[in-house]
Parts: sequence; structure tokens; C-alpha cells
Amino acid sequence: MTQPVLALNNIRKSFGGVVAIEDFSLTIEPGEIVALVGDNGAGKSTLIKIISGVHAPSSGNIVIEGESISMSSATKAREHGIEVVYQDLALADQQSVYMNLFLGREVTRGPFGQLDRKTMIAETQRLVDELDVRIPSPHATIRDLSGGQRQGIAIARATRWAKKLILLDEPTAALGVAETAKVEKIVAGLKARNIGVLIISHSLDQVFRLSDRICVLRRGKQIGIRKTADTDKNEIVSMITGLSAA
Amino acid sequence: MTAPQSAAPTTPSLLARLSGANLQQYVVYVGFLAIFLFFAVVLRDSGFLTQRNLINIILQTAPVTIMAIGLVFALSAGEIDLSIGSTVAVSALGGAMAMAAFPQAALLAGIGAGLGMGLLVGLVNGALVAYLRLPSFLVTLATMGLFAGVARSLTQLRSIPVTDPVFTGLFGSGNLFGIPSLVIWTIAAVAIGHFIFRQTKYGAHVLATGDNARAAMVTGIKVPRVRLSVFLISGAMAGLAGLLYSGRLQAAKYTLGETDLMTVIAAVIVGGTLLNGGKGSIIGALVGSLMMGMLNNGLILMGLSVSDQMIVRGLIILIAVAVSLRETSR
Amino acid sequence: MKTTTKLATALLAATLLHPAAGFAQTVGPNGESATPSSDIVLSDEDIAALSGQGYKAALLWHTSSDFINAVSAGANDEFARAGVDVVVTTDAGFDAAKQRSDIETALSAGPNVILSLPLDPVTSAAAFREAVETDVELVFLSNLPADYVHGTDYAAIVTDDLFQMGKQAADVLAEAIGGEGEVGYIFHDASYYVTNQRDQAFKTTIETDYPDISIVAEQGISDPARAEELASAMLLQNPELDGIYVTWAEPADGVLAALRGAGNTETKVVTLDLSEPVALDMVRGGNVAGIVADEAYELGRAMAAVGLKALLDQETPAFVVAPALTVTADNVAEGWQQSLRRDAPASVLAAQ
Repeated sequence: MTQPVLALNNIRKSFGGVVAIEDFSLTIEPGEIVALVGDNGAGKSTLIKIISGVHAPSSGNIVIEGESISMSSATKAREHGIEVVYQDLALADQQSVYMNLFLGREVTRGPFGQLDRKTMIAETQRLVDELDVRIPSPHATIRDLSGGQRQGIAIARATRWAKKLILLDEPTAALGVAETAKVEKIVAGLKARNIGVLIISHSLDQVFRLSDRICVLRRGKQIGIRKTADTDKNEIVSMITGLSAA
Repeated sequence: MTAPQSAAPTTPSLLARLSGANLQQYVVYVGFLAIFLFFAVVLRDSGFLTQRNLINIILQTAPVTIMAIGLVFALSAGEIDLSIGSTVAVSALGGAMAMAAFPQAALLAGIGAGLGMGLLVGLVNGALVAYLRLPSFLVTLATMGLFAGVARSLTQLRSIPVTDPVFTGLFGSGNLFGIPSLVIWTIAAVAIGHFIFRQTKYGAHVLATGDNARAAMVTGIKVPRVRLSVFLISGAMAGLAGLLYSGRLQAAKYTLGETDLMTVIAAVIVGGTLLNGGKGSIIGALVGSLMMGMLNNGLILMGLSVSDQMIVRGLIILIAVAVSLRETSR
Repeated sequence: MKTTTKLATALLAATLLHPAAGFAQTVGPNGESATPSSDIVLSDEDIAALSGQGYKAALLWHTSSDFINAVSAGANDEFARAGVDVVVTTDAGFDAAKQRSDIETALSAGPNVILSLPLDPVTSAAAFREAVETDVELVFLSNLPADYVHGTDYAAIVTDDLFQMGKQAADVLAEAIGGEGEVGYIFHDASYYVTNQRDQAFKTTIETDYPDISIVAEQGISDPARAEELASAMLLQNPELDGIYVTWAEPADGVLAALRGAGNTETKVVTLDLSEPVALDMVRGGNVAGIVADEAYELGRAMAAVGLKALLDQETPAFVVAPALTVTADNVAEGWQQSLRRDAPASVLAAQ
């Protein structure tokens, strides 16, 4: 049995006197896609920020591949192999696809630290081919791409750098039907890479299509975790809303 | 002049690239060529094409080109530095005063004080922008006035002669293997600036910061440090321009650089650098700067009255800027 | 008011009748004695020798202004008379580096005579060096680059009779306030030969010729845009001022604004250089008692003439001055013609 890529044990977070997350526990196995659902204000964003290192938990611990860690910044989270695909994608619009893929982690060579564009371009091409992100060329400028292509690039970037876990924050919120299907295909493809995926989504259809397990949050409380195969939408909806299904 | 990625296997056809986002990069070259050809024909008997005159254009634009390089870094990082004109004056005066104070080590004192003043202004601007998060437009608008005042008070408006022959040779009137020192400075600054801007990680971080500071931050780029650094570069370049002016005029004066800001901004924008960050070109800035110098030169040689010179120059800059910006925001 | 203007007119007439009287007082930057511009005349033989030679001239000014337009007009007319083409005209915008560039650019056009105002002695010394090394004749307006030698480096300096301008300003103000009282003195606070000379001449004249007039407030000014606030402060501290001297017309606009703001119609103002708003106030019987002008057109004519004489290898005087002219409400129309060689502004003529 492999170790979980991420284990959150009894995480609690309060801001001043306000409790945002109380006693949250979750493990994510390699190659597993876990969906995090809940209404607005349920605490999903806070949880993402804790995992990505923006906030430190008030109590509880984070274990990555069996190693208990304390993360003080987003940089630390990246060092531990966790990548986040933000809702705004965090892409530099005027730059090329390949420069975005290597943003902040450019490959250099030579005594003067020259950018190794050849390597970056080749690797970009390989990655977009593997993930089937259809873009005109690694040279293409981000702002010339469609929303789906951009989302694909953001996911490709996370994939390139994530060693353990990718957090996806509403990956298809701004996309049309065809593009959503395309992005979902890319996300499903990540399973094969043996990294964990934690996805936040408002679309239950999407959650049921993609995830292995579903974790429900309501007002900072962890309501429960279900295997996607063993549950249905009614159950999840009643967990989210707190109203029992008829 | 095209990006070096053309060597890559997946390069799209030239036509596809030309019709893409890069078109405005070429506006400045086409414009430069058109203006050059126009003057070459119209002024064929008026001395425009003489070697002497063409070299003069490069000499005259050297300080503006140097300042433009600094501004490309600042604008690409999403900041603006309006204080470069005043920086030129305080640097030139600081250098000249240091040379007068330490005649036995005039060269070192002059360079140290001149560049030091430039870096100091850059540090003030950069610290306020990067760490106090004040908008650079307002910060440098204020420091522009502040350092213009400092320049005036340094010498009570007097001009200071610069007599050290090594200094004036190095920064203004000298030659190396028959090439004027100002030409060498221009080439060196453009080459180094272009390399850093296009070929290094740092250049990529500057562009990313100006393009999307949040994206830069979450991918681990030290955005405040980048912001500070572009002001240091801009200040140092303005300081160097101050030294070039004082070497060329063999004197420093508080008015040096005062009227250059608009020329520098025009050169940089026409050269394909965006006003709001994320895109810039050092070579474009060089060509833009030469274009401004050539315009001044040609319009004077055409024998136009001073007001007509200003009107025509303004119209041409307007057209050039309109074309390059239209292409960008298409 | 009436007696004042009459007296002033009488004074003006006296100056015009005896133009040589004041010349002894204005000396060149190196102590040269002054030659009146009226002595510099191109003879018919000169004109014949110059015409058809394809000679070219360049006018490299430091700024653009009404004054420079008039100087240019005088120079252009004189050059035209001698068949010389003016091929280049520039404006350095008070920027020493631009002035150097302008000189280099102009030299590409191969002029035989350059008329220019060097921005300041220190920075222009290197700037004009390249021109000195060619055989072009240099005629300077008002300023001289440091260590330049007459005859070898340049043909002549031509300037206003600066001392007379300051002196006449003192005289017209003294008349306006009846020869006694307290006055304010707003001078140009920068190292600039022309204004410094004129300001000093005003002060000296008041102090030596008018024992009953005292300068009770002195204020330096470098930015004309701040004239109004500076004058307001001066009036606040000295509400009883009988007169104010303002170094040139642009800041005088601000001083007039301050006076109007304070509802002050008593304090007399005198300034230098013709300007429409100042002249308008004067002819409407406002605060302005008189304006002292130079003969800018004559200045330009003399610059061109002396440059052309040098081109003909004739002896040229080192230092040439053009006369000063006091303009009051009574002689506005003639004053404008004499100074700038054009009609006074319609608004001024209409208000007379």
C-alpha cells in the first residue's frame, strides 16, 4: 500500500474569534481525484489556502507522503510538490505559452544564465501533446488563446511541476460546454500520472464525472466523505444544504 | 532583431507571425526607414546624408537612448519612472562637483558620484513603490520635482565646468579606434540591455511582473525585488546619461535632461514597449530614439520654422504611437 | 497720471535725441566698450559683394518668444537684403544639450554665418567649439561662451543697452510716483546676464539718482508662474508700496493679478519687454506706468549686418548695443513699431 500524497489531520483554522474550519481531516492517495464541495462560504477557499501554504492552520497537522510539515508560504508548498491552479489561472497574458509554463522556474544555461528557450519549448510541446491541450504553438501568446486553452495551459503548468498534488479551483467555471468537456478530459488524464488531485467545483455533474471521492463542507464543518461510486446527487445535495432528502 | 526562438522546430511561418501579435514590433522599423528615405530624398543637397551628420544623430541621441533602455525595464515591469530627467541633472551635477572636489581622482569620483546619484534616486523611487506599494506614477512625479529642486539648489543654478580630459574623452568627445565614445556607449548599453532583457531569467521576471504581478508572485518570482531593481536600473541609466551629457558639454547644469522625459517616453512607446507592462523592446527603443533624433535633425535641415518643426514632429510621433498602440490593443 | 506720461514722453524724447548718452554705462562681458548698433550698416558695396555668392545663415535661438521673433525678423530682412539664405532656424528650449545638438545639425547645412544666443558661458564653451573650428562667422546675442576671443573665435556680441533699460525703468517709475516713496523690487533670481544687468541698473539708478525713493522690499523670482503669490506676499507685508519693478513682462502678469486681487489701483508697476496684457493694463489706465522695451528688430538687423561684415573680412566691433525705448500709454503704437517692427496688438490699440 502506497502512502497517501496528502493527509490533513484535525485541521482547524480561526481568524480572530471566527472559526473558518473546524476539525477537518482528509487523505488523498496517488492517482486519486477528490472533489471538495460546499456552498459559498463553506470554507473551501480557506482550506485551499491552508494546503497551498498561504495560511497556516491554527491547529492540526499536514502530512505529505508520511512527512509532517509546516508550511509558511506558497513557495514552501511548491517545494513540497503541491501546485495550485487558481481560478484566475495566474497566467501572464502577453507572454508565450512556454514562458508561462516555466514562469518563475525558467531553464537557463551558460555562464551568463541565458534562458534555454530550446529546452523549454521542446518540453512545452511534449507536455501539451501528452495532455492533449490543443494550442497553435508553444510560441503562441496567452491572450490569443481561448478560455479552454488557457485552462489547459494552467493545468499543464501545474502538471509539469506538481510532484504530489494539484489543487484545481473551479477549473471550468468560465468555460462553455465543449471547452468544459475538453478540460475534464485533461483532468481525468492526470490520474495516470499518479499524483493526487483535489478539485473544487460547483458543478455536481462534473464532480460525479471526475472524482473518486467527494468531501462535503458546510459552514466550516466537515460533513462527510463519500466514495463517488457509492453515493448519488441527492445525498450530496442534502449534505451540502443540511436539509435531508425527501 | 526578431526573437531568437525562430530557431525552434515549431516556429510558425513568418506570415503567421507577422499577422500575429508581433506586428507592432515592426512599426518602428518601418517608420524609421520611411522617415530616413524621405529625408534622404528631400534633403539630398542639404547635408543630411553626410557621414558627419548621420554620426551626429547617433551622438545627439546617445543619452536619450541610454535613458530609454532604463525606461524599457521600468515600463515592462508595469512601473513608470518620470524622474529620469531630474536624475540626469543631479547625476551630472553630482559628478561634476565630485570631480572638482577630488581633482587627483577626478575620473573615479565623477563616475562614482554620478552613478551613485542615479542609484540613490532609483533606490528612493523603488523602495517607495516596491515596499510601500505607492503608485510609481505618483512617486516619480513627486521625486521628479524633488530632484529638480535638488539639482537647482546643489549649485544655486550655476553651471559647473568639467575639465578632466580623461572624463570628457570617455563620456563625451573621445574616440576609440576612430569610433566616437558616445557611439560605443550606445552600442554597449543596447547590447547588454538587450541581453539582460531578452536572454536572462531576470528579464523574464521583469516582463512577468509587469504582465501579471499576481501570477508572478504565485510562481515564486520575488515581485517587490523586481520592482525595486527596475528603478535602480532606470536611475543608473539616467545617471549614465547625466555623465554623457556633462562629458559632451564639458559642463554640468541643472537644466540637463529636463526636457528629455517626453522624448524618452515617445521613443520607448514607438519602439514597441507597452505603457502598462508585460512587453518591451530594447532594440525598438534604440530605433525609436534614433527616429526622434533623426526627426529633429531632418526637420531643422529642412529649414522649417521652429513652430513648424514642433507641429510636424508632434504629428509624426502621434501617428507612430497610434499605429503601435492600435496594433497592441487590437 | 497726465503729468507723469508727459514727463515720461519728454524723457523718452530726450533719450532718443541723445542715444549716445547712456552707452558708456553698458559694457561687454569682458569690459568692452559699446558700439551703437546704428553704426553697423551694410554699404551698397557690401551688399554687392555679398549678393549672388550663395551664402547661407543659421539662426540658433535658445527659446521661442515674441522677442526672438522680432530679432529673427530683423535678421531675416537684413540677410534677404544681402541675398543670403537663412537655411536653419532652431529653438533649444533653454536646454544646453539641445543647443549643442542644434549647432551640430546646423553645421551639416554648411552656413557661413551663425547668429545665436549661448545659453550660458560655461556649457556653451564646448558647444560652440565645433563651429569655431570651421570658418563660419559667429555672432552672439547677449551672452559670450567662456574664454572666447574676439576676432578669432567670434565676430561680435550684440545686445540690448541693458543698463539703459534698467535706468529708464527706474526713471519712468520715479516719475509715476512723483519722485518719492517706497518701491518693491522683483528681480530675476538666476545667473543670467541680460536680466541681471537690467535689474542691477534699475536698483543702482534708484539708489543713486532718487534719494527720496527707497526700495523697501526685494524679491527674487526664477519661475514666472509663481509671480502672483510672491507679489501677493510682498503686498501683504508692504501694503503702502508706491511702485513695483518687475524684471520682465511675464512675471508682471502675475504681479498685476495680485494687485487686482487685492483691489489695489494705486501701486504703479514698471516692467521690461513689450507684452499685450501688460500694455493693455497700461493703456486702460491701470497700474502699469510704463514698459521699457529693447529694439529687438534692430538687434537682429545689427547681428546679421555685423556677421556679414565679418564674412567680408571687415573689422568688426567686439560689442554692439541696440538702444532702449520707454513705452507709455501715449506712444504705444509707435513703440511697438520701433521695437518689434509690427503693429501693436489690436486690443491695445482699441483701448487707447
